Parts: sequence; structure tokens; C-alpha cells
Amino acid sequence: MTKKTRKFRDISNFNLQQNENEYYLLPFKFHRLNNDKEIIVNEVGDYLTLPNGTVEKIIKREINKIKDTDLYGDLISNFFISEEVISPLIDVLATRYRTKKLFLNYFTGLHIFVISLRCEHTCHYCQVSRVTQNKDLYDMSLLNIDKGIDIMFKSPNPHITMEFQGGEALLAFDNIKYAVEKAEKIAQEKGKILSKVICTNLALINEDILEYCKEHDILISTSLDGPKFIHDKNRNKPNASSYDLAINGINLSREKLGFENVSALMTTTKLSLDYPTEIVDEYFNLGFKGIFIRNISPYGFALRSDKSKYETEKFLDFYKKALHRVLDYNFKGHFFTEDLARIFLSKILTPFNVGFVDLQSPAGLINGVIVFNYDGSVYATDESRMLAEQKDYTFKLGTLDDDYDDLFFGEKSQEITEIWANEGLNGCSECAFQQYCGADPVHNYATQGNMYGHRPTSDFCQKNMEIIRYLLELMENNEDIKKIFQGWVKVRS
Amino acid sequence: MYKKNEIIDGEVIVYADSKLYSKDSLFKCMYWYGGKFHTNISMYDKSTYRISIKPVNDIEYNSEKLKQLLFQLERDLIDFNLRDIVTKETQNLRDLLVAKAFSNGEFDENPPGEISDPIGFIP
Ligand code: SF4
Repeated sequence: MTKKTRKFRDISNFNLQQNENEYYLLPFKFHRLNNDKEIIVNEVGDYLTLPNGTVEKIIKREINKIKDTDLYGDLISNFFISEEVISPLIDVLATRYRTKKLFLNYFTGLHIFVISLRCEHTCHYCQVSRVTQNKDLYDMSLLNIDKGIDIMFKSPNPHITMEFQGGEALLAFDNIKYAVEKAEKIAQEKGKILSKVICTNLALINEDILEYCKEHDILISTSLDGPKFIHDKNRNKPNASSYDLAINGINLSREKLGFENVSALMTTTKLSLDYPTEIVDEYFNLGFKGIFIRNISPYGFALRSDKSKYETEKFLDFYKKALHRVLDYNFKGHFFTEDLARIFLSKILTPFNVGFVDLQSPAGLINGVIVFNYDGSVYATDESRMLAEQKDYTFKLGTLDDDYDDLFFGEKSQEITEIWANEGLNGCSECAFQQYCGADPVHNYATQGNMYGHRPTSDFCQKNMEIIRYLLELMENNEDIKKIFQGWVKVRS
Repeated sequence: MYKKNEIIDGEVIVYADSKLYSKDSLFKCMYWYGGKFHTNISMYDKSTYRISIKPVNDIEYNSEKLKQLLFQLERDLIDFNLRDIVTKETQNLRDLLVAKAFSNGEFDENPPGEISDPIGFIP
């Protein structure tokens, strides 16, 4: 079945002098959706679903403009074929391509300050935080905060995000205040828009902290893994319920800052995999407008081993069940999104890309995000600094004492940039989902031992390919779901 | 010379005419089998490729599963050959597109695109 929404003029617009089967191919890729359908995707992410075997006919010039008028029209109007060697619309296509890669224009936006490595939780999957009172050793010094801010404002991006992470960031709240006030002053001088986020488990939140956050427009991002029995199992807090503290903190934060300024992220653990419905329900019942079903962290699981495929299959099963639970709420008339799907759907259904660093090509590391660690070292991503906690410094770009060019354009960065675009990677280069997916050299390294990665055994690839395929299949088979998905990417909440 | 595809001792073997299949497409296809299979590409005769795969874990593969595997491999080889045709036929255009997209106007006129109205905005 061809696209029903095709806006195309009638047959008289075609060049009828030309032979009926004489057309030129434009760059596109294809993938089998299932036993009946295949999908073709062009360089800017537009797609058509077609009966199996159609691609072969297109390539063999067996599509006839008179006999297959509808299909022929769809192929022309969606930039899959052209009646001239160089499509007269090449400039339109180039502009659309540029729009898809617009995130490259701005360079690094997200600056993560690991303000303290100290934490009062002892979560079993966390290999990073330290339960300690030693501030000197595990808090970011004021001098390093100054240097980090200095580097942050060298970014050409007009919109800078400063995100405070831990350990538990609120253990170093005085340092956060120092950093916020200093950065606000410079942002004003330089005319930059500055967003501030504190990532916290909320155990230490109180009215004074929230008052400050309100005064300085600081957003709160917290962790919520699901209902109490999952959250407390994942996040061990000696002598207290982490869940109770998180829920109280969410309520208090919403009261002070407003609903929309408090967000929550979940981590999927082995335990979560059996409770997709309960986890989604928890987010819905707490009044969140969506849930982000996040991948299993490669640090909590043995992803370098044979078990990884099995874990990914289990995750995909979990993901699909959770997605359907989310859709159930939509069928009942609620606006409630699954945010990983929403990221893919924005790329599939709109002319734009999404500023999500894990799914970009060129990759989001350095380009989109940079991490200033508590000890003054600089890493390409959050995963990179976790590797460093395991004594692997592959993605250490330098220290806050280095100058901007050396950090962002130095040898290490150049090494990474050689393999950070999926357009040039084995497997990805001919993959139909290339425009919807991304490249993640750090994840490749963490799970497969090298930055280049091996797609046939990559959990990143297996997960993305199946989720994208599944979303497309759902839209193809169910118009109501397609409408819901279109609503998710239209509304900006 | 035509040779029928076969399964011998748990190894799935496909023969492909080198005039019809590009070498690149065979390697690109075999890449995806490399996770679970021993793969091999060689010349059966002057004009025929011999492509073979053998499961690393062959206990999982009974004769029915091997037949399915043969079917899948035949289909994938065709798919990758088709992909290769599109890639090669459109390579220059893709380069031009990317150059135009990132050139800040430098390539805008060369070769020119003419903005016509095939999607029917103009009534
Ligand atoms: S990682 Fe996999 S799904 Fe993503 S573009 Fe590469 S081959 Fe395609």
C-alpha cells in the first residue's frame, strides 16, 4: 500500500515524452518490516511502506508511470526516484538534510558538572558513588567549578544547560549555589540562555533548597524506578525507604516549583523486566505526562558476554509491553507518552531531529554533551566517566586545566570523531533506519571492547532496529495508533 | 556455471553468478551473519561465487532450521545486491546532496536545482 497522504499533481505533471520506465534512482535504503511489507527510507528520513518485492521492481525499472501511476507519483514526490539525472529538487532535499542535522550548528549544549561523588544511598548497580564524609576528596572544588564554567561559556551554543549530578548532588548544595550564581552572571553578560538542572534522589530535598531552586529557575530531575517494591530494591538506602523519600520529594518539589519543572527517569534493572505494567502505572498515577523506558545499563549487566542478546530480547519484550500499556492510556483519552518512542517518532514523522545525545549521528558526545568530573577531569559522556571509575580512561579528553581547543578538538576527540557517524559504519551504512538511529562509540566500547562496534552482536543495534521496526509496523497496521503517535510528536509539553 | 544451492554437513552453501552479484554486496551480507556463523566467500569457478555459512553453535540447527537458513541467506544476498545497486547508482548524488547541505551556499548553483512545484502548492 502506498502513502495515502500523497500530495501530488495529476499525471500531466510527469514528463510524458520520456519512456514509461525511464527514471533515475535517488539515494534510499530499504528494510523488510515483516513477511508482507518492506519499507524504503530516503536520505532525509521520509518513508514509504510497500508490498514485499516492490523495491526490486523499482531498482529494475519495472515501475511504469502509466500503469503504476499512484506508486510512481509517491516515489517522485517523496524523493525516491527522479525523471532527471539530477533531481530539480536537489536544493530542497539539501535544505531538508541540513534541517535534520541542525543540531551540529550549535555544538555542545549540555554541560554536566559532577558536583560530588558522595552519596547516602548504596544502590547495588551503581559503581560510581561513594558513601563518605570526605568532601575534599569527592566534591568538586570551587576552583574546578570556576574552570568548568569558564569552558562552558566558550561553547558557541546560545543555549547552555548546566546539569548538576552526583553521587548525590544535593550533598554539595553550597557548591551548586556558588556555581549557579557565577554562571548566571556570566550568562547575562554574554547574552546566553542558561538552563539549570539538579539531578537528585530527593532524599535531602527541603523547603529552603526548593525556595532557592524557584528563585533561580532550577529544574529538578529525579530517579523513579517504579512502584515501591522495585524502587526500594534497586535503590538501597540504609534505614529508610528511598521510594518514600522520592515520592515526598516529588510532591514537595511540584508544590514549590510547579508540575512541569519536576521530571523523573527510570533505570531498568533485571527486576524491572517482570513489571512493565506496574512501572507504567506508577508514572501515570503520579501524574507524569510520560515515561522514558530506558535501556538496561551496560554497567549493571554483563553485556560483553553471550548473555547480552538474551538480556536485550528480554528488554525488548518488556519495552513492548510497557509501550502497549502507555497506548492503553491514550486509547482511554489521556495524553501520556513513552519518550524513547517519541524520540524515534519525531525523527520518523517530522522534518526535524531531536537533541537526544544517545541517538545522534554524528554522535552526541562532545558535540552535544561534555562531563566535568568532580576531580577536574573531563569526559566525553556520562558513560565515559563511569568507565573511568573502573580505571578505564579511554574517553578522558583531558582536565579542566587544558584549553578549550585541546579538549574539544584535540587528539582524543579526533580519534572519536573518526567513528562517530553511523553513515560510515559497517552495517549502519546500508541500514534503512540510519536516519532514525545514531552512533554511540562509548557504548560500543563499554559493551564490545572497541569504539567501532560490531552491529550484528551489538545490543544498541538490536534494540534500536527492533523498536524502530516495531513502531513502523504498529503505524502501518493500526491507524488509531498512528494518530496517537502523530499527536505525541505534535504536542510540545 | 549453474550450481544448485545446498546444505552439506550443517553448512549452508549458496552459489552466485559473479555477473549478477557484486563482491561488495556479498561481503556486506556476510557481515550480518558474522555474529552467529562461520562465514566464507570463495570462487567456485571463474564466474561463480561460493558463499557458505555454518552455525557456530550447530546443536541449535536441525535440518528444518538449516533449510530456513538457506532460504534466508538466498533472500539476504538478493537484498544486499539490490542495496549495492542503489548505493553505487546514487553515490554521486548523495555526495552532492551532503555537499550542498553543508556548503553555506557554495554549491547551491552547481549543478543547479530548480525549485518547481511537484507537490502542488501552487494552485
Ligand atoms: S545501529 Fe543498527 S539499527 Fe542503528 S543504524 Fe546501525 S545498523 Fe541500523
